[in-house]
Amino acid sequence: MAVRVVRQTVMNETTQLRVMDFDCPTCASTVERALSNVDGVQNVEVHYTTGRVEIEYDDDVADPDAFAQAIENQGYTPQPA
Amino acid sequence: MNKRSITQYYRKNRKAIVTASSGLLYGGGWSLGHFTGFDTASAGILVLAAIIGGYDIAKTAYYEVTNRTLGIKTLVTLAAIGAIVIGEYWEAAAVVFLFSLGSYLEGRTMRKTRTALQELLEMTPDTATVRRDGDLQEVPARDVEAGEVVLVKPGGKIPVDGTVVDGESAVNQAPVTGESAPVHKADGDEVYAGTVNQEGALEVRTTGAGSDTTLERIIRRVEEAQEAQSPTESLIDRFAKYYTPAVIVLAIGAYAVTQNAILSLTLLVIGCPGALVIGPPVSIVSAIGNAARSGVLMKGGEHLERAGKIDLVAFDKTGTLTKGETAVADVEGFDVADDEIISLAATAEKKSEHHLADAIVDAARDRPTAATDGGTAVAHSDAASAEHRSVPDPDDFDVVAGKGVVAHTDGHEVVVGNRALLDDRSIDIPNHVAEYVRGREERGETVVHVVRDGSVVGVIAMRDELREAAPGVVAALQDAGIETVMLTGDNERTASAVAGEVGIDEYRAELLPEDKQTVIEEYQADGHVIAMVGDGINDAPSLATADVGIAMGAAGTDTAIETADMALMADDLERIPYAVKLSKATRWNVLENVGLAVLTVTVLLAGVLTSYVTLAAGMLVHEVSVLAVILNGMRLLRH
Repeated sequence: MAVRVVRQTVMNETTQLRVMDFDCPTCASTVERALSNVDGVQNVEVHYTTGRVEIEYDDDVADPDAFAQAIENQGYTPQPA
Repeated sequence: MNKRSITQYYRKNRKAIVTASSGLLYGGGWSLGHFTGFDTASAGILVLAAIIGGYDIAKTAYYEVTNRTLGIKTLVTLAAIGAIVIGEYWEAAAVVFLFSLGSYLEGRTMRKTRTALQELLEMTPDTATVRRDGDLQEVPARDVEAGEVVLVKPGGKIPVDGTVVDGESAVNQAPVTGESAPVHKADGDEVYAGTVNQEGALEVRTTGAGSDTTLERIIRRVEEAQEAQSPTESLIDRFAKYYTPAVIVLAIGAYAVTQNAILSLTLLVIGCPGALVIGPPVSIVSAIGNAARSGVLMKGGEHLERAGKIDLVAFDKTGTLTKGETAVADVEGFDVADDEIISLAATAEKKSEHHLADAIVDAARDRPTAATDGGTAVAHSDAASAEHRSVPDPDDFDVVAGKGVVAHTDGHEVVVGNRALLDDRSIDIPNHVAEYVRGREERGETVVHVVRDGSVVGVIAMRDELREAAPGVVAALQDAGIETVMLTGDNERTASAVAGEVGIDEYRAELLPEDKQTVIEEYQADGHVIAMVGDGINDAPSLATADVGIAMGAAGTDTAIETADMALMADDLERIPYAVKLSKATRWNVLENVGLAVLTVTVLLAGVLTSYVTLAAGMLVHEVSVLAVILNGMRLLRH
């Protein structure tokens, strides 16, 4: 319980990116997994239909530049939302 | 071109370049093998084609496997490697090339559905001219604060949401409401960011800027709607989870039984549920995007799929079929002056919030002559009552829901209400009064009786004009095979007259607000899938009860957008047949896509098991089927 309280006090930032070139629904889930493996990422949602990528991350740990890199590594082109 | 721009160009067009190179090598390798005897060289080139085209696919496949998701890229990679291992270089290169080409085209076409909304966002200008510290400043539109006054030139786009404080103009609100005709705006009117000021200069006091504008909210809602899975989509997703592993098991099993490597590799390729998982979302996203551009907000695929089954549309009368601008059409006093009737009724109704009450009070204020009530009117001589006659407060008053009011003023008891209220209170209605009332009601007017100390002294007839579009909309729905019904609190005779004017199939009259919900439940019990059209605020309960709740004039009212399954941003009734037809078309489109996908897989499976279809042909048909469902779904963008 104590751990939970500490986690909640950490201010999480949210950012959005857009990927226009997803070519299949599983590609979106792969990107979602890849992003959730980036350090400091708390929560990720990647939507195949709109190409919207929503990332909730811990400001102290995560480097936002790494998000775009992670998407590029999967072969897709991230854009600002 | 310097090195940097070459790199950038490559990055941007990587997929196209990779696909093209793989295709050229594939063509070259095949020709070499087919027309000459250089088999080794041909094999080498084909393997190179497979590697170049397959590198990215294999990389993603690697991620898929390490992330424990089994996707199509894993299957394609396995098939290509398998084909090389057994020496089928041509098949390997073909599979990789066809898959790359297919994905490239799929990505490109999907981009079109994804950018459909972006066009709306680009409507908002980046900068705004603000009156700050006594002069005009050009600032980023998102930095304008609530309360600041923004100047909009004629022909300019409005950068913020706000209220007009100076100027007069015609504004094209198409980006927000979908209406093509410009709307007149003057002092006190609301304007929306992203709309176009066509005529005169406007000064607008900001109520929202940046991401806090109606247009931004609409786009966010639309995106949420597009991202929400429809029942068909979730069903297919659940199915796909088991389907892909099952195909791998089937491929292994087939190899164990037949020892035919090509057969089991082909199974891997055609076993991807591509068209099945892609088809329904594309249909729904396209339909929601199309609707948004026409000023109709659909809450999600689920609602859209349900709306496709509508066979009955119920309309609330007031404010939906009619303009909702009830006005007094006639006042008739019986042995009492007309003016006295209206002021008596206005006093009794003053504290009521009913739209009929508003009409009576407005009429009393606008009467040019006759004292309202002794000298009280003159006593309150503020600015408003200088132009309008003031209406005195009643000593006390009670609302009888759906029937009228009972009030006391100046020692008299005043009852203003319909026949039901008078019956409840055993007030006798003389024949000549009843006859007059019948005459007005047969013209579609709503009549209230004015009773002083137990006897009817007059009646007030009120009229709410029909919307011009109403008869056409009802006819369009009927043509589409959809029944129509009107729900109203009016009495039988008024309702019948209005229903006749509109040409509606059925009407239900004398309904109290909560009765409307019951009526909808009755229709549902009869097996109807019913849509209810109302204003989204007063009708919220019946909108929620109906299978599909459609709120009108929702721009600016967040509650309506929240409660309704569909919201018409403008007060434009004509969007209803459009929305219903679009929903029906979407439902068919989803079924077509599912049907096409299942048919393709079935035919391919039969073809593979009878050895008619091998690797490359299987891949080709698979990719064609995926493109076919995407293109079919995208037809809805232009419905």
